[in-house]
Amino acid sequence: MKLEVGYIPIRDIRFGPESKVDNNVLYVNKRELSALILADEGIASVALDLARPGESVRITPVKDVIEPRVKVSGTGGIFPGWCAKVRTVGEGKTHVLKGAAVVTTGKVVGFQEGIIDMSGEGAQYTPFSKLNSLVLVIQPKEGTESHAYEKSLRLAGLKTAEYLGKLAEHLEPEEVHTYETLSVTEGIKKYPELPRVGYVLMLQSQGLLHDTYVYGVDAKQTLPTLIGPTELMDGAIVSGNCVSACDKNTTYHHLNNPVVEDLFSEHGKALNFTGLIITNENVYLADKERSSDRTAELCAYLGLDGVIISQEGFGNPDADLIMNCRKIEAKGIRTVIITDEYAGQDGASQSLADADAAADAVVTGGNANMVIHLPAMDRVIGSIDRVDHIAGGWSGSLKEDGTITAELQVITGATNELGFNTLSAR
Amino acid sequence: MSQIKVVHYLNQFFAQVGGEEKANIPPEIKEGPVGPGMAFQAAFQDQAKIVATVLCGDSYFNEHTEESVDAVLEMIRTQKPDLVICGPAFNAGRYGVACGTVASAVKEKLGIPAVTGMYAENPGVDLFKSGVYIVPTRDSAVGMRDAVAAMVPLALKLARGESVGSSAEEGYIPMGIRKNFFETKRGSRRAVDMLLKKLAGEPFETEFPMPDFDRVPPNAAVVDMRKAKVALVTSGGIVPKGNPDRIESSSASKYGKYDLEGVTDLTAEEYETAHGGYDPTYANEDADRVLPVDMLREFEKEGKIGSLSRYFYSTVGNGTAVASSKKYAQEISKELVADGVSAVILTST
Amino acid sequence: MIITNNPLVRSTYENAHGVLFVEGNYRDVLVQVRDLVHRRHHLITHPMMGSLKPNETPYRSVIVSDEPQKNVDVDSVLIIEEAILVFDRFTKTARSDRGTGSTEKMKEDFREIDLSLLGSALNK
Repeated sequence: MKLEVGYIPIRDIRFGPESKVDNNVLYVNKRELSALILADEGIASVALDLARPGESVRITPVKDVIEPRVKVSGTGGIFPGWCAKVRTVGEGKTHVLKGAAVVTTGKVVGFQEGIIDMSGEGAQYTPFSKLNSLVLVIQPKEGTESHAYEKSLRLAGLKTAEYLGKLAEHLEPEEVHTYETLSVTEGIKKYPELPRVGYVLMLQSQGLLHDTYVYGVDAKQTLPTLIGPTELMDGAIVSGNCVSACDKNTTYHHLNNPVVEDLFSEHGKALNFTGLIITNENVYLADKERSSDRTAELCAYLGLDGVIISQEGFGNPDADLIMNCRKIEAKGIRTVIITDEYAGQDGASQSLADADAAADAVVTGGNANMVIHLPAMDRVIGSIDRVDHIAGGWSGSLKEDGTITAELQVITGATNELGFNTLSAR
Repeated sequence: MSQIKVVHYLNQFFAQVGGEEKANIPPEIKEGPVGPGMAFQAAFQDQAKIVATVLCGDSYFNEHTEESVDAVLEMIRTQKPDLVICGPAFNAGRYGVACGTVASAVKEKLGIPAVTGMYAENPGVDLFKSGVYIVPTRDSAVGMRDAVAAMVPLALKLARGESVGSSAEEGYIPMGIRKNFFETKRGSRRAVDMLLKKLAGEPFETEFPMPDFDRVPPNAAVVDMRKAKVALVTSGGIVPKGNPDRIESSSASKYGKYDLEGVTDLTAEEYETAHGGYDPTYANEDADRVLPVDMLREFEKEGKIGSLSRYFYSTVGNGTAVASSKKYAQEISKELVADGVSAVILTST
Repeated sequence: MIITNNPLVRSTYENAHGVLFVEGNYRDVLVQVRDLVHRRHHLITHPMMGSLKPNETPYRSVIVSDEPQKNVDVDSVLIIEEAILVFDRFTKTARSDRGTGSTEKMKEDFREIDLSLLGSALNK
């Protein structure tokens, strides 16, 4: 499977009479886009707003962040199972509005998650402070049930990203990145000497606000399976979860999976990036046993020498992470796991909820309990009084002057467990 | 910058007062450096001066901790030092605990920086590493020169109020406190690099060392308790009155084996506890509360268990090194197996 | 058998499954589960499901086997004991009392999330 990903860099975002990309500026026709979103009867109203890097703007509560992309050639369309039919993607040509994003906000539940600050202390902890974002503030129709509202919100974000992505379809990309996955036999023939490395991507799959979708299928229902790394780049995996803000993977993270990118960068040089296995993090203990057994089997079946395992979430997922690590190591396959930590505000507590001596190679995204102080922002997009109720906030987190004292947990993407950021801990 | 003033804390042995027989002396203060203090002074040259040495017997300190700490703190306070050095304690358990306690109190109550040194397995390490700078040393005074060399640079930094780097940089035992910082490379890149090293058999450093588990898988259940020979083992310190084997009240260096032949009940006249880590009143009144001999004799009579094994084994679990505990357990289990014991009731406090 | 302090879970499932309702807090639920596990019930769901930390939600539901089994399941024992340790760790150090200190509207939301997480295990 070969995919060429072309970047159209976006340096600014504005509203305008016509939706287009001109001179690296993304223009959005408010009326047209609003109408598109309001076609969903579950939505009562939508407000569109803009946030640019360096502005004194706070976005909260963040539900998802999505990157605008479009399939230029190759089977299927972006976000299969949602915006496009379910044909397999990951091949051909895809264009990306690089430097742009769609951010959805909306109060699905009272303790909604996620803050993105575009400047100040908080900006350094989230990759989204560097993007030109179109923010959707969505109100559900009165009496809409949470599950339905979450779905409306999710679809609105994907549809918007698709709508904006289409603007890039006929543009000439400034950068093109090519990714090629070989079949197992081709790979062995071409790189017989290189270590065979795989990636086990754990997806959060526990329920409302804790779900992930693969080709539109709820990840709870899947058995561990192989998927082409380039399929992720076309939106095969979409986020339905946002609890906790710091270590959940937004759709943007899935589209730009850093482990996939970094493994590709070494593919054919230091290693043979053999394949990607996705697995889930169910609450049912028997499912955990089943999934970890199957994952380890698949790794052995592919003849892997080493595996990187990334997780999503904390607590229950730590058990899956350790199970996967232990069982894969037991097959003689070396592992490196990527996780984050909840070591308490003083950094002194036991960081993980589960552990094992087999997990001797760990990369950490940092301690999510670290206390941070966010300055007041001139503008808040979304709703500010959510902060007290966000994980990591506490009574009095939000001060009269608009400053926030809370744990790093509140910042969207802060301790991402795909290894997206440079934050670490010792 | 005026010369740094240092007070040095030592036990009775290193302060050259005496050995175990002097372990009961209360805190006292002497002028200038004593014993290993001389080595520290030489290493400090004129950057710092040890103005006084405070010493205390290890047994006294452990048995009268609160008063000792108060007295020691007062002595230190009057000297107005910029820094306190404790030990190093090497592998001496009670001394290590005393050093850790003093260093910790000095920091918290007097706001004066402190540093100590001890062997990695000293029970004082686990108890204090998260709050006190402990420099790792060898397991005996043979390592004194190296210990001094390692402790002095850190000591000077602390005294000068300079910022202290990570444990790896400054040479102290990791405090187990996680601190966030930004690496140059993103996590996924670090993961790929780490995996490549691991696959090549090259050394790599994990960003999060897993805690030490030492999980022991449980044995199968006893098939029939009514036929089982049950033994009693305790870390609660129950010993015959007078503690004939002199098992220490903390950091025990031994365990005792005692005969229960003819004994159906432990009385205050015949038994007591040697444990220094809990209020001994109730155990001294009736040692069955910690070592349930009376109940097991009843069960024996009623046929609920086959029999109570003739000997019980006892040590004190207070501040006892994991390595020591392992050793005792290995020796005790050999004897239990030889005696045909099929189940053990292990009591602790 | 569902052990829960979530009234929404009770009302939703009490007819279809055995529900042991705990009049108490999150920790009380964990302790009840632990007691049952020691009495040879096996854990069916993980007690730390969801990404809301223990100090962040007042509700917890856990599924254990309906009947005591032949033997104690050691893994279940380790998991539930660990869960209680983690709970104590989080509630001791965290400043957020979001669980018990939340408004009624938020409590409603927490009940719903807990119900949904549980539902994902029951819809098998």
